[in-house]
Amino acid sequence: MTDFSVIGKPTLAKRSHEIVTGQAHFCPDIHLPGSLVGKLLYPKFPCARITRLDVRSARKLPGVVTILTAADIPGENSYLYTLPADQPLLISDMVRYQGDMLAAVAAETEETAQAALEAIKVEYEPLAGVYDVIEAMQSGARQVWPDRGNIFDHLIINHGEIDAGFKQADIIIENTYYTPLVEHAFLETEGAVAYLDENGAMVVYSSCQAPHRDRIQIARALGMPENKVRVITPHIGGAFGGKDEAHVQIHAALLAQASGRPVRLIRSREESILTHVKRHPVIIRYRSGLTRDGKLIAVHAEAIGDTGPYLNAGRDVMNFVAATLTGPYFVPNARLEAYTVFTNNPICGAMRGYGIPQASFACEAQMDALARAIGMDPLEIRMLNGLETGMQVPTGVTIREGRGMKVCLQEAAHLSGWKEHTSEIHHPAPHLRRGWGMASIWFSIGMGRNIPDHATATLEMTLDGSLILQTGAADMGQGAHTVLAQIAAEAIGVKFDSVKVIVPDTDLTFDAGPSVASRQTFISGNAVLKAAQPIHEALLQTASDLSGLPVEILQLREGMVLAEGELLSLTMSELAIKAMEQNRRLHADGFYAMEYPEQLPPGSYPYAPSVFTFGTQVAQVLVDIETGQVTLEKLVAVQDAGKVINPGGARGQVEGGVIMGLGYALMEELLVDQGTTQNSNFGTYLIPTAKDIPGLMVKIMEIPEPYAPFGAKGLGEPPLTPTAPAILNAVVDAIGIPLFRIPLTPERILTAIETHALMNLQNGS
Amino acid sequence: MSEFELHLTINGVLHVIQAEPCLTLLDILRDKLNLTGTKEGCGVGDCGACVVLINGQAVNACLVLAAQAEGKQVITVEGLAQDGNLHPLQQAFAEKWAFQCGFCTPGMLMSCYALLLNNPDPTPEDIRDAITGNLCRCGTYQSVVEAVLSTVKVSRKASHD
Repeated sequence: MTDFSVIGKPTLAKRSHEIVTGQAHFCPDIHLPGSLVGKLLYPKFPCARITRLDVRSARKLPGVVTILTAADIPGENSYLYTLPADQPLLISDMVRYQGDMLAAVAAETEETAQAALEAIKVEYEPLAGVYDVIEAMQSGARQVWPDRGNIFDHLIINHGEIDAGFKQADIIIENTYYTPLVEHAFLETEGAVAYLDENGAMVVYSSCQAPHRDRIQIARALGMPENKVRVITPHIGGAFGGKDEAHVQIHAALLAQASGRPVRLIRSREESILTHVKRHPVIIRYRSGLTRDGKLIAVHAEAIGDTGPYLNAGRDVMNFVAATLTGPYFVPNARLEAYTVFTNNPICGAMRGYGIPQASFACEAQMDALARAIGMDPLEIRMLNGLETGMQVPTGVTIREGRGMKVCLQEAAHLSGWKEHTSEIHHPAPHLRRGWGMASIWFSIGMGRNIPDHATATLEMTLDGSLILQTGAADMGQGAHTVLAQIAAEAIGVKFDSVKVIVPDTDLTFDAGPSVASRQTFISGNAVLKAAQPIHEALLQTASDLSGLPVEILQLREGMVLAEGELLSLTMSELAIKAMEQNRRLHADGFYAMEYPEQLPPGSYPYAPSVFTFGTQVAQVLVDIETGQVTLEKLVAVQDAGKVINPGGARGQVEGGVIMGLGYALMEELLVDQGTTQNSNFGTYLIPTAKDIPGLMVKIMEIPEPYAPFGAKGLGEPPLTPTAPAILNAVVDAIGIPLFRIPLTPERILTAIETHALMNLQNGS
Repeated sequence: MSEFELHLTINGVLHVIQAEPCLTLLDILRDKLNLTGTKEGCGVGDCGACVVLINGQAVNACLVLAAQAEGKQVITVEGLAQDGNLHPLQQAFAEKWAFQCGFCTPGMLMSCYALLLNNPDPTPEDIRDAITGNLCRCGTYQSVVEAVLSTVKVSRKASHD
């Protein structure tokens, strides 16, 4: 095994000192002299025709500097996220959901800006919207868009012979699963601060995941060349996919352009919950065919996603649902379908997992249903069907490193004492039931084929031997900057503390793509390695010149120069100075794009990913059958990471993912009544607190991934994914009643228990 | 609205501030004094990102009118480090990775600081109770508990030495 000096070693997080001292600047902390307060006007109805929008009297209020409507946007009035670019920055004729924006205001104070919003005269003709996704799919349903149907897309992935597969099945089981509409609840709401600099360039501090995409969007809306727009990410207070698409940064820039003054636009918590994209609620009809000995022979699954009125990442997310539905199992015959459906509900798009949690929930609840049907242990059915290296999955891709599935499954079973559960502690008290459940997942890393998926990173060795890393990859707390700095330090041979990270600033850093899809360790990590290579070579060559020793026996490590392990009296600074004098290169860009060496047959699903990670979690729950309360007592999480770059950060990603997953399983659901969200603050939309966390055991496995930097494949999203189905399976084990819907609120548990008792009575049992 | 004169001792320094009576302590800290370490996550006391100490008690600064702190001692995250040296809690948060994005960290630190003032030897359960009002969406609660415990162990060890 390679002996690393920085990779896999504990370090502090980059910028940890700023964070613990309160000096870290997030968007709301940026106060520029002469700043105006920006605010946005939202509609009173989720679906309506606008018959009048009059800002004249609001513009005359003292202290109001600028009010923009759709007509005042100099460039394109569109978010431009996907084609067709259907979401206007400011609407002028139709309201399609509660989070549409009618006008943007910049005023001297918060109060004046609020007064201006109230003084804008809007008249509506309220329309009957379409709020039920199944209704929306029927012919004759009210159309969200006049020129396109409510079913925007219907993806079908066919694999093998589905009918023949089901004919070979001895047992066929069909269930329908439901997942909720979920809020990201990043602690820092969406925000931006924008100003025109002395050269007339637009500078925007943006709490975002995709600074270079922001730049394109801002430039096009403002009608400015892209090289006159500069996007900088300050500290970002969480994102989880919810700051992938632009939110208010374009509006802030429009207001700064129109007013000629700095504008600070920060959403309130309520605004945040009402407006930004959510996790799709998905209905999944799942039909599985099994042979008598427990082998999966066919799966037909159909997922329906309510994406709201605008496309955003809706179809892409639903594509990931479809491509993931068979789970980490070998399924020779499959038909996987995904519908992307428009409604007047909140927009859905990226949220940690990007469709994979929904698909995994259905798949894993179904695996336990199958196990129960044939009387097989959940561990056994998963071992029997689990994916392995070299197996083909429904997208046509052959798994190139698949050991993780069974390694994680066995390790989770071992650590949780899966085989030793006794019936004795199943009923610790007359009203309490204890249960155990497991869930295994596969998770694709990166965007998938035929989607731009690349990054550039830049390194510069200074003459004192310290290193500067410039990256356009946003760090929203997931630790990308720390991980990239470690990769740079290892590759060049300097200490971690010798690396300074220049954070995303489109004037200083190149595009690294968005920080999504758990991709930055893999993609930007490889870009850093490519940038490091010529610098490392130049330094080694110089060390050889100075020492008279051959390059082959020299090594740079933590700022030291070694010859076959012996320390030489040369410093990095001496190498750097000499290399510079000899006209050798001390700075370089590295560019990396995801590689897909495997050719898929024509007609294959075009976006198939090729890198997969695996994980298994085992949950132990206690259910109070009188109150319906579910307590997650223990959770064992085993996750493959390829290679851990930073142990503190890696553990944090797994624990944090599990805690978000427990919220998904037990408490989180945005309640939307006729297009209007009913729980738009943290008093009513509950997320896990310190009191909700279980006894948590985390183990990270390291099965190196081909093509990945040091084998590390990405860890941001996968750990969230098995948690909800593991908990559901444990609750089913505890109460002995099948369940199909999360969150498992006390009301749902009690209803299930009562319904079950009633059915038993009717059946005379 | 007419302004009035407010006297707040913040991190040991007396500030005399002209302020509108409707302003919260959070408004004063962030907007008048530029002490932006204290964060606003919800504005209605649900999230705990704005926790500060008033006379040794942890409060949500968004729920306290500045006038209610008149004449009192306020401590914010900026007041934890002394003479450029991190407070042991800050050091432990950094070492244990007791944050990811860091937005909840100032409030989290202040809740833990208040706990230790009132209970120098807390159990893990005491710590979880103390931070129940501090939401961390990154899910770092377990590391926070470990960070606080590590400072207790250090001080316990120091007092035995």
